[in-house]
Amino acid sequence: MTPLDRRAFLRMGGSSLAAALLAACNSRGPSEAKGLLRWAERRNESVERALFRRSSLDTPESRVLAGPAIPSYHISRAVPVWDERTRGPWTLEVTGLVRRPLRLTLPELMRLPRVTQRVDHYCVEGWTAVTEWTGVRMSTLADAAGVLPEAKYVDFDSFDSGYHESWDRESALHRQTLVAYGREGVQLPPAYGAPARLHSPVKLGYKCTKYLTRIVFLPHRNGGYWSDRGYEWYGGV
Amino acid sequence: MNRSRHHPVVRVTHWVNVLAVTLMVGSGLRIFNAYPAFARRGETFCCWLAGRTPVPRDLTFGGWLAGARNWHFAAMWLLVVNGLVYLGFVYLHGEWRDLVPRRGDARDAWEMARFYLFARKDHPRQGKHNALQKGAYFAMPLVGVVLVLTGLAIWKPVQLAPLTDFFGGYVWARYWHFLAMLTLVLLAVGHVFMVLTVDPYSLRAMITGGYSERLSPEARDARPFYHLLPRRAPATPAPVAPAPVVPEEVGSAAGGPADAAPPEAPPPVPDVIEPPEMP
Repeated sequence: MTPLDRRAFLRMGGSSLAAALLAACNSRGPSEAKGLLRWAERRNESVERALFRRSSLDTPESRVLAGPAIPSYHISRAVPVWDERTRGPWTLEVTGLVRRPLRLTLPELMRLPRVTQRVDHYCVEGWTAVTEWTGVRMSTLADAAGVLPEAKYVDFDSFDSGYHESWDRESALHRQTLVAYGREGVQLPPAYGAPARLHSPVKLGYKCTKYLTRIVFLPHRNGGYWSDRGYEWYGGV
Repeated sequence: MNRSRHHPVVRVTHWVNVLAVTLMVGSGLRIFNAYPAFARRGETFCCWLAGRTPVPRDLTFGGWLAGARNWHFAAMWLLVVNGLVYLGFVYLHGEWRDLVPRRGDARDAWEMARFYLFARKDHPRQGKHNALQKGAYFAMPLVGVVLVLTGLAIWKPVQLAPLTDFFGGYVWARYWHFLAMLTLVLLAVGHVFMVLTVDPYSLRAMITGGYSERLSPEARDARPFYHLLPRRAPATPAPVAPAPVVPEEVGSAAGGPADAAPPEAPPPVPDVIEPPEMP
């Protein structure tokens, strides 16, 4: 190869690199990279699972409660509200790989051991907020239902147009993972997921299903609304 | 000059780092745009003046939040592994000696700055790099370490709570992450500017390794946009008739074969590169 060829090669290489960078602006990147990104996500999940400790607890970073400053998200057009006249009383099902499937009405849920905790809320968008939640620990519900050892995953289903997210068992049974029916001293308002919702500081907000209807213990993962649309499935904090 | 200026490991990690940092900054800015502020919900943040201004979309990469996050959390491994290879190599192979600050560097950097600002006529003497370069190349990996640590702190604020607390909590760690990114970008922009306007020959040195001392900024007395071309070589010794074997001269006892060549000390060359004065 003559030096000229090498120079021409470098020049061409340089300009195509610059062109690729320009084309990359605001783009999703080459579609060939999808497999690589998915592989990296799986590797990250194993790192995140290795880092996970049941004993790692969130301590709220502020004394200020966010109150109504937390945006409320749902995927239905309007705020989903459980209409008792057409649907009958709301119940929460705990089912799947359990010895004693449960179907709890709201008063029954509220009679279970109650926990009030002040924790951070971590949103995938990058903001956080401190809120106080009142409800039942997921681990309490799991014990009541008698979860089988082969249940490695849990799916949290809702009446918000099919929104659901599945979790790994360890995060679901973390002691700060609650099925919450109260927020900052009042009954959970519809905007924040009434009658009951999932909340945990060990998962990003989108993993915490609102408008909860069913908790299904599974032998395999079951994706989720945002997880199926490209967001990380594990979503741990 | 047959020894390459930069070891192949340094050259490869340099360009891999360019790719990794570009991916990280682009995707990171897209993630930032999902919430272009720092305040915790329901609170205010003291130290951010830009309000809720997002970064221009064309500076971002990833297309949407999930895409940018997937790129960010994949490219971080490229950045970290490549950075560790570089740091490990530089430490074991001795290149760190050209980069670690030494006593007198501050004064040398000041002299460099004076030279660039025309407050000093001659180029200060330097080793492989001038003192300003040394400072920049030493700072970049440090900023990189801060970026990785603050990044871990906002990735896992519960599982790595002690690290997050060390940076002052999630909100502050995210702020330091952003400021460290800005610092790195500023250093990189300054670096590229100086490469292009002072020492474009170093581009070749970072690609093929080739470099000639005759082209070094010190030899050219180069400032940004000044003396980009090498000084005219000292008049080549005319091909004289085969010189009679000159008897050894005074003090040549220590002279090796290299000393046989005519002394290369360039005569004081006038600034031939300066454009001629306008009449």
